[in-house]
Amino acid sequence: MLVAATTLVAGRAAASPEDLFGYGPRSIASGATGTATSSDFEAAYTNPALLSRIERPKLALGMLGANFDVHADGEGLPGRIESLPAHGIDIGVDLPIPLQGALAHRISGALAFYTPTDVVVRGRILYPETPQFPLLSDRAQCLAIRMGLGVDLGYGLRVGAGFGALAEIVGSVIVATDSTGRVGSRIDDQLVATYAPILGASWERPLAHGTLRVGAVFRGALAARFAVSIDATKLSSLNIPVFNIAGLAQYDPLQAGLEAGWENAHWKLAAGLTWKHWSDYPGPLEPTLPCPPDEPDCGSLQVTRVGFSDTVVPRLGVERSFGLPRGAALHARGGYFFEPTPVPSHLPSSQRYDIPTQALVDVPTRYFDADRHVLTAGLGVTLEKPLRMSIDAFAQLHVLQPRTVTLDAGASDGSASTGNLSGTILVTGVQLGVGF
Amino acid sequence: MRRRSRLGLAAGIALVFASARAEANPLDTFGFGSRGTAMGDAQAADASDFSANYYNPAGLVHAQRFEIAVGYFRAEHQLETNGRNNGVDPVAGLVGGLVLPGRVFGVPIAFGLGLHLPDDRLSRVRDLPQTQPRWELYDNRNQRLYLAANLAIAPWPWLEIGGGLSFMASTTGSLDITGEANLFNASQSQLRHQVDADLTAVRYPQLGARVWLGKRAALALVYRGQFALDLNLSARLYGDISHLTTAYYALKTASVDAFLPQQVVLGGSFLPIDRLKVDIDFTWVNWSAYVTPVANLDVTLAIPPPVGGWPAGISPPSVPAPAQVVPLKMSDRIVPHVGVEWLAYERGKFKGFVRAGYEYQKSPVAPQTGPTNYVDRDRHTAALGFGLRVDKPVAILSGDVRFDVHAQLSVLPDALTAKVDPADPVGDYVAGGLIWNLGATMLVGF
Repeated sequence: MLVAATTLVAGRAAASPEDLFGYGPRSIASGATGTATSSDFEAAYTNPALLSRIERPKLALGMLGANFDVHADGEGLPGRIESLPAHGIDIGVDLPIPLQGALAHRISGALAFYTPTDVVVRGRILYPETPQFPLLSDRAQCLAIRMGLGVDLGYGLRVGAGFGALAEIVGSVIVATDSTGRVGSRIDDQLVATYAPILGASWERPLAHGTLRVGAVFRGALAARFAVSIDATKLSSLNIPVFNIAGLAQYDPLQAGLEAGWENAHWKLAAGLTWKHWSDYPGPLEPTLPCPPDEPDCGSLQVTRVGFSDTVVPRLGVERSFGLPRGAALHARGGYFFEPTPVPSHLPSSQRYDIPTQALVDVPTRYFDADRHVLTAGLGVTLEKPLRMSIDAFAQLHVLQPRTVTLDAGASDGSASTGNLSGTILVTGVQLGVGF
Repeated sequence: MRRRSRLGLAAGIALVFASARAEANPLDTFGFGSRGTAMGDAQAADASDFSANYYNPAGLVHAQRFEIAVGYFRAEHQLETNGRNNGVDPVAGLVGGLVLPGRVFGVPIAFGLGLHLPDDRLSRVRDLPQTQPRWELYDNRNQRLYLAANLAIAPWPWLEIGGGLSFMASTTGSLDITGEANLFNASQSQLRHQVDADLTAVRYPQLGARVWLGKRAALALVYRGQFALDLNLSARLYGDISHLTTAYYALKTASVDAFLPQQVVLGGSFLPIDRLKVDIDFTWVNWSAYVTPVANLDVTLAIPPPVGGWPAGISPPSVPAPAQVVPLKMSDRIVPHVGVEWLAYERGKFKGFVRAGYEYQKSPVAPQTGPTNYVDRDRHTAALGFGLRVDKPVAILSGDVRFDVHAQLSVLPDALTAKVDPADPVGDYVAGGLIWNLGATMLVGF
């Protein structure tokens, strides 16, 4: 029965919420930058090399909420597409390693978690003709874990490494009748960890009464597949095939980022680019009856592949700090990034079996997505006395650039149709950090 | 003001900690870290290192410095029925954790993280027919990840309290399969599926307190909450059967998996002489709340006969009768643990320890005289271990390095299970066996 427990853990082409919004209140508020400017546990995601900037232990707890208002208008389309809001808790831990001598103040680590408040994973694989934005709302509904370690090599060089982790599911379910004619099941499902590396480096030098830093980060593709076979062949004498309930539950594309930042006591500026290798993404769904390797055209219903494209995301971030009494400071942050869509504007049709006509018919593949312009802002206060702590609030407004897509077999007569996509996403959150 | 801040911090613990324990708990069986395992898991009033994340989170605040630990253990089962090894899978994997102590408003606090990462999987779900013999407490429940994070505070020097919130996930969802099933060539079937499901968070608490009765004695109280993972699923299959007829098959299933009973631990730790530590724990385990790990099935099947009848060689299935779930009865148990640690060697920066422990768990499973076969036996567990501690072993390290090893042997004496029904398909059987557990842990204090 865990049948689906697991079957379902699976999901739609989801990816981590960090890939949607960024990670940490300062990065999220600053255009999801940080590859050249992070200085705490956020760097476990933005650039592990910068974890070496951590000087003192800190524990942070925050909340994030996102509301999706996305629309698809046109023939056969519903207008507003229902998307559940995302709510989550993020936890960060700064861990300086207190070595002595030549290694003093050079090595630090961090843990970074994000967990949705109501779900651990949302898994939705909808029929392709169901209007959906598969790369948006459900992507924020999964647990995310990051760990990393950074080392200050001296001479302005820092390097770091870490990993992101997800869980994937493999298993089998056998439904059968026993000797007394009663139906029973035998289930063996396993949750298996899947990891992706995060590597980072940075170089810095003094410049214009501040510090110029260039950071680079590489994140491996983080893919969590689910695959549960359901075997009901022993339920009766009918020759029922074994069902392959499978797909990609979570997917972060391989990506590389390069960013330049400059900062002093009052300003922090950052600009960078992130390349995302979406063209490797096979799509969320696998066929229910995959063809055997020696018979690739076996005749079973196959899944239409949508050609996803690589993207390049430009980012800008700025932070202005104002000194307050007793060592406190106020930080105002802003930023922008542009997230191009990897989904093509011309979507090929899929197929389904039509029971009344007993034949395969074409149906539109309604995998919608659009370029996003993302405006970010935030405010933060840091205190030194009586307690070393910080409070940071942030907001992001994602505006989906209006887009028209062509849907093969989208019209009621089976011809192509068009759909007009638009929408907004509002992200808000706050985080409290306490230094030890 | 200072008192208010202490109370506020203590209250805040319940909100800040976030611990994630994954399903049923292998540490209940095999311990956490070589030191605690070697001392019979009698650690509620003693643990002050990373293992306190499991034994008693209050102990984290007693750590003197930032500590990181990593280790490994492997437990092999030799569990048999009627002299045949039942092939219960081993439990093996990394153990580790960290403790990060500090002060807030001058009050000692600590954050801790504990992890057991199995070699082969994060977790495994096995749902077997209730009549199939299985070692209910060992066959699958220990095949789990354990991950816990806790906060601890010492509002007064004699009192330490700590805790965490653990969470797991229950599942609700639906599965839909439609299309055409080709009975004559299954690989040419035109089927597709749709899934809509959530893993929803389940949270439960873990709380602990330790009271110091001077420098030579401490008492502890620990509570570990119970959790149960509900699994409510529905599946629907609607399709054409080789152009002969249409079939509708609906399945609703509700079950509970990986039930972990709540526990209360009362422990003491004593130093009767300078070189000898004695630890004693009593763990109450609420096994009577255990939920039968068998699914309730509701099946609907409708396949009208095709015009002209079924082709030769094909007979339609009849509506299957659901299995009647026989409840599993279990009884609460108090599990005693005792452990000793002797400082056997001390010279310069080196200290050597010898450890031993014992624990006994009377089987909570009621006699399996009926159709079910949840096999279990009383368990006697003895353990032995050694430890080496080196202070400031290298110039870059101001703390210490500790190496601990352990060997643990559980003996489940053979006993007969006699069936009431002489025609029982499984019949009478004798069950019992051994469980070996070997491991090592290294801990670095900075």
